[in-house]
Amino acid sequence: MRELFKDILNMEGVKGLMMFSFAGDPVYKEFNQAQPDGIESRDWSLFIESLAGMRETDLVFKKGRLYIRRTDIGYLVVLMGLFVPIAMMRLQCDILLPSLKPAKAAKGIRRLFKK
Amino acid sequence: MIKNVLLVDDDHEMLIALKEGFQKYKDSFSILMAADGLKAVESLKKNTVSLVVTDLKMPGMDGFELLAHIMENYPDIPVIIITGYSTPEMEHLAREGGAVGYIAKPFLIENLARQIMTTLRKESEGGTLHNVSSGLFLQLVEMEQKTCTIRLEDKFSTKKGILFFQEGDLFDARVKDLQGENAAYEIFSWDQVNLSIQNGCALKERRIHSEMQHLILETARRKDEGVVEDIQPAVMEEVEPFEPEPVDITIAIKEKIEARLGPSCGLEDIYQDNAWDSRVLQFSRAGIFFNIGELEMGYIDRGEENDFIVLPRENTTVISVSPKCPRDKLLRVLNE
Repeated sequence: MRELFKDILNMEGVKGLMMFSFAGDPVYKEFNQAQPDGIESRDWSLFIESLAGMRETDLVFKKGRLYIRRTDIGYLVVLMGLFVPIAMMRLQCDILLPSLKPAKAAKGIRRLFKK
Repeated sequence: MIKNVLLVDDDHEMLIALKEGFQKYKDSFSILMAADGLKAVESLKKNTVSLVVTDLKMPGMDGFELLAHIMENYPDIPVIIITGYSTPEMEHLAREGGAVGYIAKPFLIENLARQIMTTLRKESEGGTLHNVSSGLFLQLVEMEQKTCTIRLEDKFSTKKGILFFQEGDLFDARVKDLQGENAAYEIFSWDQVNLSIQNGCALKERRIHSEMQHLILETARRKDEGVVEDIQPAVMEEVEPFEPEPVDITIAIKEKIEARLGPSCGLEDIYQDNAWDSRVLQFSRAGIFFNIGELEMGYIDRGEENDFIVLPRENTTVISVSPKCPRDKLLRVLNE
C-alpha cells in the first residue's frame, strides 16, 4: 500500500496521509513523522459526513494544511505543511485515483479457481 | 404548530453545530438558543417552549439548577440533558431531578433529534384541532372532566398559550410570562385557535380558582371594555447569546481581492451563510486533532459551476469563485 502512495509521501512537506471509508473508519495511514495519537479511537464520522458532496477540499490552518480528495473507496486525507505546491499535489492525486477503486468479485467460473 | 426547542450550552460551537444539524427538522420544531442557565430562564419567560435540551456544566446557573427551575415553574416542559462529563451518578441525579432524557457527549445529532421528536410527539398524543372556537372547546373539556394539557395558538396573532386541566377543572394557564387567571383571560380572548391535546397534566399546584364559565364571561367583559392584558406579540424570538457579525465584512473582502487580483479574478459572490457552520466546525476540530492550529480558510470543489472558499467566523463567510480562478493566489491574498 505504501508503494501506491509513495509519490505523495515523498513530496517535500507532506507529513502523512490517511484513507477513510465513507462511514468514517480509518482504513489506512502512513506518516513520515510521529503520527498523532488516537487516530483509530477518534470518531471521524462527523468529519467525514461534513465532506459529503465535496470532490476536493484544501483546508488551510495556521500551522499546516489538510488536502482531501474523494475517491471511489472513501476519502484520502493528506497532512502537509503550508508550502506544499497544491497543483503538484492535485496532479499526484489525479494519477493515483484510478488505482483506488473497490475490489471487484470475480464473476462466473473464474471465482472457483485460485489465481 | 411548530414547536420551540430551547438549546442551552455555553459551548458556542456546540450550539451552532446543533442548530445547523437541526435545520432538516425545521418543519417539526424551531430552535431557540441560550448560552447558560440564566439566559435560558429569560428565554422561557419570553417564549412558549416545548422542550429544553441543556448541558450540565455551565457558568452562572448550571444544568441541574436550570432543571430544578423548570420542574418548579414549568413542569410540563420536558428536559433532555447532554453532558461531556457523564457518570452514572450524574445520570441518576438528572433523572431523579425530572429529566426525560440523558445523552453523553459526543453523540450523533440524529440520535438527539430522534429523542426530541419522540418527546414532542407526546404533546399532541390526544389529537390536534384546527380553526376551532377556544371557548366552546374548553367547555367541552370541562364537561368531559378530562385531565389534559392543551396548547393553543391564536390564528390571528400566532400567540401561543397553554392550559392545564385536572379532571375538567382549569388549574392553570400560561402565555409567555403570564400565569394563572391573567393568562386564561388572554387565551379566552382568542376567537379561532389551533390546538393540540396532551393526555395528563404535570401541574399539581392550582393557580386558577374561578369557574371556567366565569372566566369566559369576564374575558368577554374585558374585551368589550378594552382591558385585556396588552402583551407583546409572541414572535418566535431567538435569544442570540452572541453579538452578530458586522455585515460589511463581505464588502471589505471583495475590495481586498479585487484590489490585489483585479476585477476579472473569478470572484462570483461573497456572502455570510451559517449553513456552513457545522462543516467548518468539523474542519476546525480536525485541525486541533492534527495540532496544526486554527482553521484559516478552506477551498472546496464540489464539481459544481462554482467552487467555494469558506472563512470561519461567527457566521461563515463564503466566497463563490469560478473554478478557473487563480486559486493559490486567491488563498494567499486572503491569508495576508
